[in-house]
Amino acid sequence: MDIKATLASQLYSQVQAVARPAPQDTPVRSPGEAFATAATDFMATLRQSEETVKAGLAGRADPQAVVEALAATELAVQTAVAVRDKVVEAYQEILRMPV
Amino acid sequence: MSDLERTMAASASGMAAQAARIRLTTENIANADTPGYRRKTVSFEAVLDDTRDTRAVATGPVRLDRSELVRIYDPGNPLAGADGSYLGSNVDLVVEIADAREANRSYEANLKMFDQARQMASSLLGLLRR
Repeated sequence: MDIKATLASQLYSQVQAVARPAPQDTPVRSPGEAFATAATDFMATLRQSEETVKAGLAGRADPQAVVEALAATELAVQTAVAVRDKVVEAYQEILRMPV
Repeated sequence: MSDLERTMAASASGMAAQAARIRLTTENIANADTPGYRRKTVSFEAVLDDTRDTRAVATGPVRLDRSELVRIYDPGNPLAGADGSYLGSNVDLVVEIADAREANRSYEANLKMFDQARQMASSLLGLLRR
């Protein structure tokens, strides 16, 4: 099987086009701002699901909604814990740095 | 809102719809011997939520089955007319059982999808935690 150099270069340019990151529409924000937004979203999720669970226990919401809210809370808490662990890890890494 | 969360919301709406359906089926079976009872049916409608971009399902208005009531011959019954018969319900137990089974299967399918989405999100976070 012979592979022509032109074909190879063509395929290579196609791969480059696919691998290029898509342009971001959202404006660039500072990391602090992004963290603040994420924390606010996290709190909103927790508060909302707390309300749903309370309504479910009182018999005003159906069990499906309660389960959905609990799953959303679980994922939000897992995300928050994972991010916090990463941040603490990075901080400790900096502390261990020989001066 | 991520796609996985939207998946969970949609499957929860599906479970709620199937729960409403099986409730109506149970009511029909419970009233199978009630004279003059017409079986209740419910339709499913897609709910378009533009703010969350989800296509959830919801139950439509409850309708009564317009088919003929069964005429039961029982001269001893206080409801019986001059010809010794009265109108029973139009509930067919076989149809109701089949409907209940279908609702059960649909509920299970929605539950499976819910669990699937949850596991996918969980394993994605597990990758971050490593």
